[in-house]
Amino acid sequence: MMSDRPHFLLIVVAALVYLFLMLPLVIVVGAALSDTTYLTFPPQGLSLRWFENIFEISAFRRTIITSLQIALLGTLIALLIGIPAAYALNRFRVELPKWLGTLFVLPILVPEIVFGFALLKSFTVGTGAPIFLSLLIGHTLIVLPYVVRVISASLASFDFSIEEAAISLGSAPVKTFFTIVLPNVRAGVIAAFILAFITSLNDVSVSLFLTGPGISTLPIQILAHVEQFFDPTVASVSVLLMFLTVAVMAVVERTLGLTFLAK
Amino acid sequence: MTQPLALQAVSAHYGTTKVLEDLSLSVQAGELVSLLGASGCGKTTTLRLIAGFLTPTTGSIQLGGRDLTRLPTHRRDIGLVFQNYALFPHLSVLDNVAFGLKQRGIGPAERRKRAVAMLERVGLAVLADRAPGALSGGQKQRVALARALVIEPPLLMFDEPLSNLDAKLRVDMRVEIRQLQRSNGTTSVYVTHDQEEAFSISDRVAIMNAGRLMQFDRPEVLYRRPANTFVARFVGFENIIPFKVVARDGDRVTAETAGMILRLSQAAYGAIPDSFLLATRPDGLVVSTDPMAEGLSAQLGLRTYLGRAYQYQCDTQAGHLVANGSLTTPLEAGTSVKLVPMPEQCTILPADGAR
Amino acid sequence: MTSRRFWRRNGATGWALSAPATLAVIGFLLIPIGAVIAGTFMDPRGVFAPYIAYFNSGFRTTVLFRTLQISAITTIISLIFGFMTAYVVSRAPGKLKSLLIVAAVFPLLTGVVVRAFAWLIILGRNGILNQTLLGLGIINEPLEMLYTQGAVVIGMVYLFVPLMVLSLVGVLENIPKDVLQASSSLGASPMATFWQVLLPLAVPGLIVGAVLVFTGSFTAYATPQLLGGERQTVLATLLQQRAMVSFDWVGASTIAAIMTVITITIVLAMSHVARRINPMAT
Repeated sequence: MMSDRPHFLLIVVAALVYLFLMLPLVIVVGAALSDTTYLTFPPQGLSLRWFENIFEISAFRRTIITSLQIALLGTLIALLIGIPAAYALNRFRVELPKWLGTLFVLPILVPEIVFGFALLKSFTVGTGAPIFLSLLIGHTLIVLPYVVRVISASLASFDFSIEEAAISLGSAPVKTFFTIVLPNVRAGVIAAFILAFITSLNDVSVSLFLTGPGISTLPIQILAHVEQFFDPTVASVSVLLMFLTVAVMAVVERTLGLTFLAK
Repeated sequence: MTQPLALQAVSAHYGTTKVLEDLSLSVQAGELVSLLGASGCGKTTTLRLIAGFLTPTTGSIQLGGRDLTRLPTHRRDIGLVFQNYALFPHLSVLDNVAFGLKQRGIGPAERRKRAVAMLERVGLAVLADRAPGALSGGQKQRVALARALVIEPPLLMFDEPLSNLDAKLRVDMRVEIRQLQRSNGTTSVYVTHDQEEAFSISDRVAIMNAGRLMQFDRPEVLYRRPANTFVARFVGFENIIPFKVVARDGDRVTAETAGMILRLSQAAYGAIPDSFLLATRPDGLVVSTDPMAEGLSAQLGLRTYLGRAYQYQCDTQAGHLVANGSLTTPLEAGTSVKLVPMPEQCTILPADGAR
Repeated sequence: MTSRRFWRRNGATGWALSAPATLAVIGFLLIPIGAVIAGTFMDPRGVFAPYIAYFNSGFRTTVLFRTLQISAITTIISLIFGFMTAYVVSRAPGKLKSLLIVAAVFPLLTGVVVRAFAWLIILGRNGILNQTLLGLGIINEPLEMLYTQGAVVIGMVYLFVPLMVLSLVGVLENIPKDVLQASSSLGASPMATFWQVLLPLAVPGLIVGAVLVFTGSFTAYATPQLLGGERQTVLATLLQQRAMVSFDWVGASTIAAIMTVITITIVLAMSHVARRINPMAT
């Protein structure tokens, strides 16, 4: 029933922008399916051999495992320290200083590559901490802002008088948090987990400095591989990552509805 | 420049839900008509159809002989006052008021002159350079009013303009709106869910329910002579009792409900059909302890204090009724009384008037 | 009764709950970065020696200006196309709108390496674009598109347009509908409403989006590394080279300090501007 529609030319521009966004990803998928030893599109002879090749190269096998470990652990730690922080920021808005909220956004405000370098120089080299630990700390911090922000957003629409009602009915505060508050921001926690996990999995700038003999992450390995070989292995790894993204988005769609991610 | 508005058989659908069905309404030139009803009754949809934010599925909308039905909003030349004021936050008060003049190609000097003059009329000339964000609710509404009036539209529409103001201001503003509208003689459509507001401000009121027009008349008529049970309940006829005529003797009519007999005078009530509903306000049933009184037998229940009277919840064979009794003799629950209808506070509805 | 102590409004509980995250950010982010920046001022050659050395090097100043230039061009292109697209998306009917939002979220969730790699396949010497152009007989020998500033800009725009679209859709949806309706009820044509109402109200959001894209492309690593190579060295790739290839830690720290200061300055300055001209804040 609404009558005003954007100008025809604007619709054309938007369509072209979406084509520009989608086409390169389609090309990557095509290249991954090619039977040739070089990258080409449209694929010549369909084959899944390059997918097998991923797991034959031990560097890929190892880094996939490291990346998954780091992403999972980093996200869990970030949730563990981020949820109480987000709760405190909302519940004690008046009592806590304003800069505290800004502090938790800092890891995405300062250039990531600077953070990676600083962590290497001042922490890893300075204290001789193991690479894996440094990597984990780095990833925990870069996903922390997402956790705090997404969960704060959920808590902002949470009516704290519900919590007070539960406490007035005799529920202990800590128990109330787990039985009343947390279930009401469940959607936020799931979204935070997913966003953090994907961010960690895709990270380049921090991991760049925190890799060493035997320890590297998948994106860093892809970068290294691309600079030496120009075969479709990387395309198939990319497709694998895209599938993972699609799977995650499907889970989000099932649980929260997709437009949730746009908020 | 003041023009009549006519809606002819207008229907509107959202997908498969009908929000407005076959609505015909004509507003005379210079008249202020309110659309009154609960939320979801179709009053706001009607306003949005007239404004052009929605297009009707069928029917037509005419303003002074111009067909508006398919015209885009910006060419309809209608002044609109929004519930949330909808002031442009990036423009000063003066530029807000001048906005419509600018769209009509009026030069800056003339624009300014007319906008200032209009702001003076609403008493806000001193705030001309302020940002709208710095104004109070009442001031914002005056700016919105000035902005809609300054373009001298043939039709002015109000969408619950006072609902965000506090009670005292609401009463002042509605007087002000009525005065401005009268002195300009602009045809106006006023949407509200507040009955007192609609009745006090309007020449005529259209009461709507579930996308249909229930009754369209002067406030005095609606208040005293509702046409059906919906309107009757809406304007406060809380007791609606079904009767059947058992005997007629010239002016006197004997009617029966649930075994109780009541004699009514057609001189007082008007023509009484064989089967009818007697609708009364609580004030229209006098509580009488005289066992011989001509009324309905009742047992008193809960008594509440209204300030000007006591109100009783009453049990009768015809069901639950509400009646008001005098302050001088508070009666206890369980007392047997007669409820005597007062003709001037009652109305007779046809039995099929239940819509 | 257990609750009374807990709810005393003195904020101690708040501090306790946020302590782990606070300490983590301070200990592992603020202090290390602070130490790196402080370190650049403790050079035996003099307080500002590393900076003087930096700006005396023609190559390194070129890198700084190239980075600024690439970021500026990326920001402008992303703003223009992002805004037009966001406008269309915000006006789209419900189902289509969700689909368009998802289509913008998907590339964002796909890693930067994958997205830069896609353009490597397209723009390479034996890439799809060259093959297509050769096949069509438009060119006789492959164009050198990779390792040019254009390639880096395309890769960056590709990286940031979705972000711009999503943040501007949010901005446009936050503009109250009745304000736009008021404009057309007062006789403003759709064009007039766009220029006189919608655009001015979107400016604060446009600034925020521009800052996101500018700082993002200013510090991006993978895209310039893959699509620009050594010929299009930018600050991020220079930092990595200095630190991991040349082991010139003072040089790397200097670059890190310059990047941090420029980024933080831009973020603070522009968010201040955005807040000051935001007409919707009362």
